[in-house]
Amino acid sequence: MIAAFSPFVALRYLLARRISLLAMLGVTFAVWSMILVNSVFTGFVGEIRADVRRGTAELLLTDLPLDTGYEPLRAALEADPAVAATAPRLRHHGLLQPLRTPTGRGPAAAAAELQFDHTESGFALLLGIDPLREGEVTPLRQWLERSTEVFAVHGAALEPSRVLDEPDPARREQLLVPDEVEWLARRRAGLRVDHARTAHHSTWPGVLLGWRRAYHMGWLREGDAFDLLTAASVPTADGGARMTTFRARMAFAGWFATGYRSFDENTVLVPIETLRTILGHDRADPQGIDLVTDVAIRLQPDLAPRDAAAAVRRLEDRAQAALPPGSPPCRVLDWQQQNIVFLGAVATEQAMMQFVLFVVMLVAAFVIYAVLHMMVVQKWKDVGILASLGGTPRAIGAVFVLCGLVTGTLGSALGTGLGVLSAQNLNTVNDWLFATCGVELFPRSLFDLQQVPVRLETSWLLLVAIAAIALSLLVALLPARKAARMNPVQALAHE
Amino acid sequence: MSTPVLAAHAVTKHYRLGKREIPVLRGVDLTLQAGERLALLGASGAGKSTLLHVLGLLDQPTSGQVCFDGRPVHDLPIAERARLRHAHTGFVFQFYHLIPELTALQNVLLARMMASSMTGYWRQRGAARAAAKALLEQVGLGDRLHHRPAELSGGERQRVAIARALLAEPRVILADEPTGNLDSHTAAGVVDLMFSIQQQRGIALLLVTHNEDLARRCDRIVRMQDGVVLAEPTGT
Repeated sequence: MIAAFSPFVALRYLLARRISLLAMLGVTFAVWSMILVNSVFTGFVGEIRADVRRGTAELLLTDLPLDTGYEPLRAALEADPAVAATAPRLRHHGLLQPLRTPTGRGPAAAAAELQFDHTESGFALLLGIDPLREGEVTPLRQWLERSTEVFAVHGAALEPSRVLDEPDPARREQLLVPDEVEWLARRRAGLRVDHARTAHHSTWPGVLLGWRRAYHMGWLREGDAFDLLTAASVPTADGGARMTTFRARMAFAGWFATGYRSFDENTVLVPIETLRTILGHDRADPQGIDLVTDVAIRLQPDLAPRDAAAAVRRLEDRAQAALPPGSPPCRVLDWQQQNIVFLGAVATEQAMMQFVLFVVMLVAAFVIYAVLHMMVVQKWKDVGILASLGGTPRAIGAVFVLCGLVTGTLGSALGTGLGVLSAQNLNTVNDWLFATCGVELFPRSLFDLQQVPVRLETSWLLLVAIAAIALSLLVALLPARKAARMNPVQALAHE
Repeated sequence: MSTPVLAAHAVTKHYRLGKREIPVLRGVDLTLQAGERLALLGASGAGKSTLLHVLGLLDQPTSGQVCFDGRPVHDLPIAERARLRHAHTGFVFQFYHLIPELTALQNVLLARMMASSMTGYWRQRGAARAAAKALLEQVGLGDRLHHRPAELSGGERQRVAIARALLAEPRVILADEPTGNLDSHTAAGVVDLMFSIQQQRGIALLLVTHNEDLARRCDRIVRMQDGVVLAEPTGT
C-alpha cells in the first residue's frame, strides 16, 4: 500500500523544482534518439537483408570436389520432396574487356590496351548460370527488371534486358542477343560482318553485368562485344599442370540489379555452358562433364522452419551420397549462412549502435539520480517532518521513488511520442531540408533508395519505453533508500 | 491513580561522538496523565528535547522503557512506532517545521494522509479538507488557507503547526519550545491558543521550555539538569 502523502508530496516536489524538468527532458531525449536512430537503422538493415535475400539462392549446395557433375546431384536433390527446383552454378574468375575504340586509334578490334581506371578494374567473379533453370531458384527476371528502376533513380532511362524473352531455348541458354543487334555491334567494333543484316545469326554468348559496373565500364549498348579472359590449370603430358589462359568473345546482354552491393559490383553472369567450354568441358566433348561448383536450391513454398532445417540436413546427406566415395564433406547453406560475414557485420553494427544509445539512456538515468540525490539532501528536514507526522520509512522512501518514476514515465512517454512522430515524418523533413537548404540528413543516393527506410518496431518501442521507466525507477531507489534510512531526529535538526 | 497516557521509566540515552560515549539522559522517570499539562524546564543541553523525541518515539532509548497507556512501545518495529506516533502524538516544534512547497491547508492535511492509502484518503478527502479548514479557522487562519509558509509570519506558521498537530486527533501533544522563535506578544497568543484547545479537547500536553512564566501556567513542572529529573512534580 502506498500512503496517500507519498504521491501528494512527490508531485509537489516535482512541480516546485525546474530541475526535475531537466531530468525528464534527459529521458525524453534518450528515448527519442533510441527510437528514431534505431528505426532508421532497422529500416536500413531490413532493406539490406531484403537485398541480400533477393540476390541469394534459398539454399546452396557448396564445397563440392573438383570436377563434380551436375546431373547426379540434381537427381539426388530433386528426389527429396522438400525440393522444388535446383539450378547448376559454376564459379570462376575472369577479366572482362569491352572492345571499345580508344580515341583516335582506329577500330576497337585492333585495340590492345586493357581498360582500367584508377579505382576499378575489369576483374570479375564469373558466375555461370543455366538461364533455363536459374529463374526457378532465384528471381533472375526481377534482377533484370530492377536494373531499370535503379538506373531511373540515378536519372538514366533504359530498357531491361530481353535475353530471357528469347523464344528459342537453345538461344536463351546462351543468352544470345537478337541477330540484328549483334550484327550492328560487330560493325561498331570494326569486325567483319555479312553484307545482309538479316543473314546474320548471333554467336557471341551473352554476358549480364551488375549495374554497378556501369560506373567504371561506362554505358554499354546491347550487343557490345567483350573479350572474356580467364585462366585455369590444365594437365600437361608429363603428368603435371600448367596455368593456361582462355579467351572468349561475348556480347553485352544487359544489366542486372539485385540490390546486394557486393554481388552487383563483383559478379558477372555468363551462360554456364560457355564457362564449361572455356574450362575444357564442352558439351560436345564425350570426356566433358556438366561441371558445377555449387547447386542452387529452392525449397517448396510454405515449408515450416523446422521442416526446412530438417531438409537442409537431409539434402547434405543426399548430396554426399551422390558424390564419389571419399569426397570431403559438402555443405548446404541457407541464404543467411551464404552471407554470414556481411550479415554478421551488419548485426554487429546495429548492436554497437544500440549499445551507444543505451549509454545515452544511462546518462539520462544518471541525471535523474543526481537530481533526486540533490532533492533528498535539500529535503533532509522534510524527511524528519514526515517522520514526526507518522510517515513510515518505506512511505518516505516512496516519495522519492515516485519522483523518479513520474520523471521517467513522463520522459519516456514524451520521448516515445516524439520518436514515433519523428520517424513517421523523417522523409518529409529530409525532403524539406533538401529543398530549402540543400542539406540531406540521409543521402539516399548513397544507398540507391527512393526514401529513407524507416521501420518502427512495436517490440523496440515497448522495450525502450519500459527500460527507460525501469531504469528511472532503479536509480531512484538509491536516494529513496537514503531518505528512508535517515534518522528523523538528525533530519529535524538539519539546517 | 489512573495509568498515565505516556510514561518514561529509567530512560537513558547515550550518543557516540567519535570514541566517546556522551550520556544525554541518565535514568529519567516521568509520567504524563491524560489531559495533563506538564512543563519540562531546564537549561539548554539538559536533555529536554532528547527526552521529548524519545517519548514521541522519534528516537529510541539506550535503556529503560517508554510506555503508552502502560504498554511498552519503545522497542516496537519502526513502522508500528510510526503508526502509533501518527495515531496518538502531535508534535509542535520551535521552528514550525512546515513543508515549504505546500500551502497552509496542505501542510495540515498531510497529517490525515499519513496512515491512509491513496484510495482510502480519496474517499474521505472531503471530510479531511473540512476538518483541516475548521482547525485553521479555529487557530485564526481561515483567510490564509492557500498561503505557503514563506508567505506567513512566525506566529501564523506556528498556528499552522498546531492545527497540523491536532488534525489526527492525538491524545498527547509534545511541544518543543513552541514560542522560542516568537516575540513575546505573538508567543502569548500562540500559548493561549494551544492551552485553550488542549483544555477543550482534553489532550495531554508536554511542554518543553525554559520560560519560567510559561511553565507556571502548567499543571506540573519537571526540571531537568544534565540528563536527570531534578524535582518531583509540584502543583501550581
